[in-house]
Amino acid sequence: MQDPRLRFLSIAVLSLASFLSVWGALGALVWLVVARRRTDAMLQPRVLLPLFAMVGLTALVSAWGGGNGLSYFIRMSVILLLAAWAYAATAEGEALAVAVWAFGNRAGFDIGLIAEMGLAGLGIIREEIEQVGLAMRLKGIRPGLRSIVPLALNLVITEIRRADEVARLLTVRGYTAGGVVCPRFQTSLNEILASISAFLLGLLPALLLRDVFILV
Amino acid sequence: MRVELGEVVFGRDGFCLRGSGTFGEGVHLVSGPVGSGKSTLALLLAGLLTPDRGTVRRQDVKSVLLLLQFPEHQVTAPTVAREAASWGLAPDEVLALAELEERADDDPFHLSRGELKRLTLACAFIKCPDLLLLDEPFSSLDCETKRWVCGMIEERGSGTTIIFSHEQSVLPRVDTIWEMEDGALIGRGSVPGAISSWRHAPAYLTYALERGAQPENIRLSDAREALCRIRD
Repeated sequence: MQDPRLRFLSIAVLSLASFLSVWGALGALVWLVVARRRTDAMLQPRVLLPLFAMVGLTALVSAWGGGNGLSYFIRMSVILLLAAWAYAATAEGEALAVAVWAFGNRAGFDIGLIAEMGLAGLGIIREEIEQVGLAMRLKGIRPGLRSIVPLALNLVITEIRRADEVARLLTVRGYTAGGVVCPRFQTSLNEILASISAFLLGLLPALLLRDVFILV
Repeated sequence: MRVELGEVVFGRDGFCLRGSGTFGEGVHLVSGPVGSGKSTLALLLAGLLTPDRGTVRRQDVKSVLLLLQFPEHQVTAPTVAREAASWGLAPDEVLALAELEERADDDPFHLSRGELKRLTLACAFIKCPDLLLLDEPFSSLDCETKRWVCGMIEERGSGTTIIFSHEQSVLPRVDTIWEMEDGALIGRGSVPGAISSWRHAPAYLTYALERGAQPENIRLSDAREALCRIRD
């Protein structure tokens, strides 16, 4: 999907649908398989698998405690897939463009800037995790709870420092609030149809929920 | 003790590294411009990357240590002393060698890059592995510290030391010269014979060679001595 507005809207609607019901999640999964182009970027399995493992573990704990672990696993896994696609398919500057289009050059610019910084930060964190992994291998440190906790703390502190540096840099460059961006988007008919179908899928769990409420 | 590269080919992001050769005991210098593939070769020799084709074989090498170009990439602990300990070393000894005793409780990221480089180099020299791979060990260092690094490399009595560097002013005494050119590893041979064919030789060596001098090694002092000999 080239138009980030339609992509973000579709993902928001489908994520909500997935969160609300298993049927919504399955519908979102079908939509993702059909609508996603083969050329679209996607996160690598080695990045996704640990996240799925965490969701799976939480689902197991939920099931062990009497909850519906399978439903949780399906819904959260689809949301994870949608988020992974959204992250991988978002190009630099798209979040800023969409925010400015939606909220204008003042509030929209600030929101977009924060979103852009957040997205860039995720990429940096991923690189740093890889570097820490390499450093541990070089030092012969085995991954474990005793080593992971201080490393995670290091990463958090590094990110806070980086945010502070970026804030100082923006101040030095004279940034106070708002800015000027003239976003341009390319939209195809297929993308509009895909977004409409996402919207209809999003209504599905809402309708099912209404039935539940009527029954109650 | 040696490391053999057997027709290694490694490609990534449009870059292709290829090379063959044997790194025996002694000090090897792999020189070449920035982006020529030195760091990739270091990672291959350390076993942290796997070649697409060919083999990297280590014979009688019991311990390997690679120092990365950017020392901050190697930090895993919240204080300087604990960072030294994370290498499996006694912090006091490391901090004394790196002259960082006063900074033991500081955050490693509060050190300058030069100080951090000194810390990682001190750890590497104290660990004294069979195979020591130093990726740009002279970057971010002042001349005095570069000379200290050269001294530490020359003092290593045994093992294989491979220096990956484009340093052009302060260099240690080496046994073999290699060059990276457009991703290809080229062995220039043993020093001093290899000096004349070394394409990325420092200006002082080129100057000495142009005047008919024959330096015994690649240090500035070697070039000076060679020039003095022909003047006499």
